[in-house]
Amino acid sequence: MVPTTRAMRARADASADRLPRDALSDALLRLPAREICRLRAVCRPWRALTSDPAFVRAHAAAHPGPLFVAKFRDDPAHVYVIDAGGTVLKRVAGADGGVHVLRTRLDLACLATDWNRCRVLNPATGALQVLPQSSAPQHKNRVNLSNPYTFFALGLVASTGEYKVFRMFNRLGFLLGGEQLFEVLTINDSSGAADSCWRAMPMPSLFIEASTGGVVGSVVYFFVNRGYNPVTLYSDAGARSDYILSFDLEREEWRSGLAGPIGEEIDSGEDFQSKRYRFALAELKGSLVLVYKRRQKSIFVMDLWFLMDFENGLWEK
Amino acid sequence: MAAADSCDGISTSGGGWEKTVTLVSSDDARFEVREAAASLSQTVRRMIRAGGDGGIPLPKVDARTLSTVLEYCNKHAAVPAPAPESSSAEAAAVDLEWFDKELMHVDLATLCSLIRAADYLEVAGLLDLTCKTVADMIKSKTAEEIRQMFGIQNDFTPEEEEQLSRENAGVFE
Repeated sequence: MVPTTRAMRARADASADRLPRDALSDALLRLPAREICRLRAVCRPWRALTSDPAFVRAHAAAHPGPLFVAKFRDDPAHVYVIDAGGTVLKRVAGADGGVHVLRTRLDLACLATDWNRCRVLNPATGALQVLPQSSAPQHKNRVNLSNPYTFFALGLVASTGEYKVFRMFNRLGFLLGGEQLFEVLTINDSSGAADSCWRAMPMPSLFIEASTGGVVGSVVYFFVNRGYNPVTLYSDAGARSDYILSFDLEREEWRSGLAGPIGEEIDSGEDFQSKRYRFALAELKGSLVLVYKRRQKSIFVMDLWFLMDFENGLWEK
Repeated sequence: MAAADSCDGISTSGGGWEKTVTLVSSDDARFEVREAAASLSQTVRRMIRAGGDGGIPLPKVDARTLSTVLEYCNKHAAVPAPAPESSSAEAAAVDLEWFDKELMHVDLATLCSLIRAADYLEVAGLLDLTCKTVADMIKSKTAEEIRQMFGIQNDFTPEEEEQLSRENAGVFE
């Protein structure tokens, strides 16, 4: 649309092109995310401005209200970005069926499947990055990529601003010989440029339970797998259901084991399966939280234990 | 009277003689302003410190815009902030808010000139006020309404537009 009438030309003179970019971005930063999505459709310069990583970061800082990433059963092909008020901001196409949206409090969300497909989504811009599927060179002949059972986690290394995706091939089962392999992929910044290759990581001393993984900052925490660690059954790690191993994404190494706060209190009358579901790891207010579900008389109660001090194994209820 | 006060060495509150500076707009209009008011502009404040005489030239601001900026500065510099919880402080705040609102009753072209001026002169309060006003004007408008308002050309191809509306399906309206 070329301005033709005099009135239109006058308006064009007063146009936003002549607003300093800083001032325009200053004005737009005041608008909620819902509005920003609409502004993408105004013109190319506005789309460029509102998709600029610096703008997105500044906007996130100015509007700390969380964005939620959600997937709905009746629409397996899309992932939705939702604000705290429940308004759908964006619908991102290209999600596979059976995708998990990983719990995260970061600016990026991770969309993963059990079948080794993993994408990283920036909820603010809708940019979707597909991560490579092939394994690290060292693991080349040790994983079956056509049938991998994988677990992913996404963490932020605060000191460098890098996001790292943690991948675990869970090859347990007596026929398979039992092996867990770990890899890390670095995502350089919120623009989403990722390394092209996964890097092999060391193995911990014990088998871990993949489905229990929880991320706090740059550390991924797991409970120890109780079924596959027969050698250690009589040691501290084997005796406690709340024994935790953790991987530091910043230093890329396993940290020393951590005993949970519950210990031997658990009544031994319960079977293995139910015990497994009585514990969960989560992140709350920047701390690792161990959730302990237990029955008190006839009702279920939930204890939240906050990890206060990793070095000394100090928990607070 | 102010001179008499200072001769006696007694200063009555607020009645003292005030230093002024002269600002010169791009179209050579001269404005004499109290230094306290002019100093709300960080740009002017730096120029005052740097010294020089014959007025401070502001080649990027025309007279019409500068007079509005100075109206803002005069009003905001005049509020001496008495005891914060007194009723007069509250009244002053209400008055100031009303003043700001009235000042923003301008068309978009004027508003854009004010933003540019506030940006160049570094008057933080005014930049904040004008940006907020623009944000309020953009709020809940469709992309087409925004283009109309700012006289922006739609430079997307039909295919891109279709893709954008697909991305935003269910988000619009």
